[in-house]
Amino acid sequence: MQHDITSSAAPGGDKPLPKFIRRSLVALSINDPRLTEKASACEADAIVLQFDKLSGSDWQQELRARMPAAIHSAARAGAEVFVRIARNAAIAELDAAVFSGLTGIVLTGVSGSAEVRQVCDHLARIEERRGIARNCLEISIDVDNPAAVWHSLDIARASPRFGMLIVNEQALCVSLGMQTQPQLAFDPLEYIKSQLITVALAAGGQAVGMSYPLGLTGQQVEDATLKKAVRRARDTGFKGAMCPHVSWVAACNVGFRPSDDEAAYYRKVIEVFAEGLKRGMASVPLDGKMVDVPVDVRAKLYLQWANRAAARDAEKARARAASS
Amino acid sequence: MNSRRSWMIVPAHQAEATALVAEWKPDVAVLDLEYTVPPRAKEAARAGVAEMVRKLADSQVDVFVRIERDTRWADVTAAVTRGIAGIVFANPDGVDEVSDLDEWILKAETQNGVEPGSTQLALMLESAKGFWDAAAIAAASTRVCALGVGRIDLTMQLGPVPQDEFRLFRFLMSRTVVAARMHAKQPLGAHWRPGSRGGVATTDATVQAAREARRMGFSGCVCAKPEQVPAVNECFSESSV
Repeated sequence: MQHDITSSAAPGGDKPLPKFIRRSLVALSINDPRLTEKASACEADAIVLQFDKLSGSDWQQELRARMPAAIHSAARAGAEVFVRIARNAAIAELDAAVFSGLTGIVLTGVSGSAEVRQVCDHLARIEERRGIARNCLEISIDVDNPAAVWHSLDIARASPRFGMLIVNEQALCVSLGMQTQPQLAFDPLEYIKSQLITVALAAGGQAVGMSYPLGLTGQQVEDATLKKAVRRARDTGFKGAMCPHVSWVAACNVGFRPSDDEAAYYRKVIEVFAEGLKRGMASVPLDGKMVDVPVDVRAKLYLQWANRAAARDAEKARARAASS
Repeated sequence: MNSRRSWMIVPAHQAEATALVAEWKPDVAVLDLEYTVPPRAKEAARAGVAEMVRKLADSQVDVFVRIERDTRWADVTAAVTRGIAGIVFANPDGVDEVSDLDEWILKAETQNGVEPGSTQLALMLESAKGFWDAAAIAAASTRVCALGVGRIDLTMQLGPVPQDEFRLFRFLMSRTVVAARMHAKQPLGAHWRPGSRGGVATTDATVQAAREARRMGFSGCVCAKPEQVPAVNECFSESSV
């Protein structure tokens, strides 16, 4: 799935909310012999490919040979495909790993905006060299160190390719000297998450993360617990989560969008408000609450969100059917 | 192993200061020239600080001197002496102020026969401006070894005195940890609750404040009274798992 990241407007001129339907992201290794099988069975909105650089081998050559097929495999079930790139070896890794079919990259270890600009420029060269549509490849940031938090706004604004800030809680806790087991009654990353969500939106993208403590433990938990955790994450402002287990994917796909009940309510809001307008009223009652312009606007936005999520699910179902 | 968990404040004018350090064995003894010293005792404290540092030389603790903002030039001149590990400076206002202090310390080092550049700086943030510029302040001098959340007096600047949990404090702690870790400085602070902090904290409150701070990424805190040292040492020794 490729689109020009410099034109993010939805049909009709409004900016969509959220910008991307990326509720569930799953990391898969291209070195995994079961990559194709796992990707086909996975219903994630996005797959982030990662690779090992085997010492003693020409890793670039090997990667160049394997990436096109790996991208194709990862996309079989309709997922958007990203590749994880380490900032400290970014140019070499980009040359070896970026091919047509990718939506973008997830950059790790970023500590400042200059690094993002360098990667952005190099992606332009790769796009030209490899016949990828210009300005299509996104840059998302794995927020895994204190400098990435502190400079998040500069980092997110460093390139028009910016897509997502992905909160890497485990890495952040380690680099901030926090304990990696959730022993506090409150989320020690609460304010950091608030900052990253705000920054991501301000820079025209969105934030990916999970609520405390699940975001830190990454545990497999009961459905009801997972559902509540996803709802808390959505209510905080996250638009999706990295899923450490495939078992998280379904809950994220359902939870990071307005529910069917919410969508039904928003339809009713829109209908009631439209009828009110016809009668010359700008504020009408519904179930004991007042519906006015902002409520109507929100209903339309959220309904559009629900519809886009449903369309994305249908798109993935078609891809799965076509590949089976 | 974190070797600077407890930063015990000892009024520099008190003759029993060295005995207190020997008794409670903090990781860091902070000889205070700031607000625990009454104005009339300031000059004597300043005059005696070098001798006190000398007496503590064999105590296995790192010795810092906390200086008063308004008299920092005289305080630094008196404090920078052989045996001192560093200076604690509260409420740095910005990068320029830290740079100026760095230069002044260098002057005192040269004058007092201390190896140039060896005196460290622990900065305690106490103002909105300080917290906002925390990262730049931490990087303002190579002497900076620690960045701390200062006295809760800052709440008077930022809002009314809180009656219950002061959630803004967690935001400021979070900001301090990020800025400090980003520049490889030691984050200092404890998750104090209003009404039970510093000199009035019970042992239980100290344990809770230190333990929560440890879990939030801090690795030490100031002990306003010696009795806090054992609890602080224990809580900040928790492993990172």
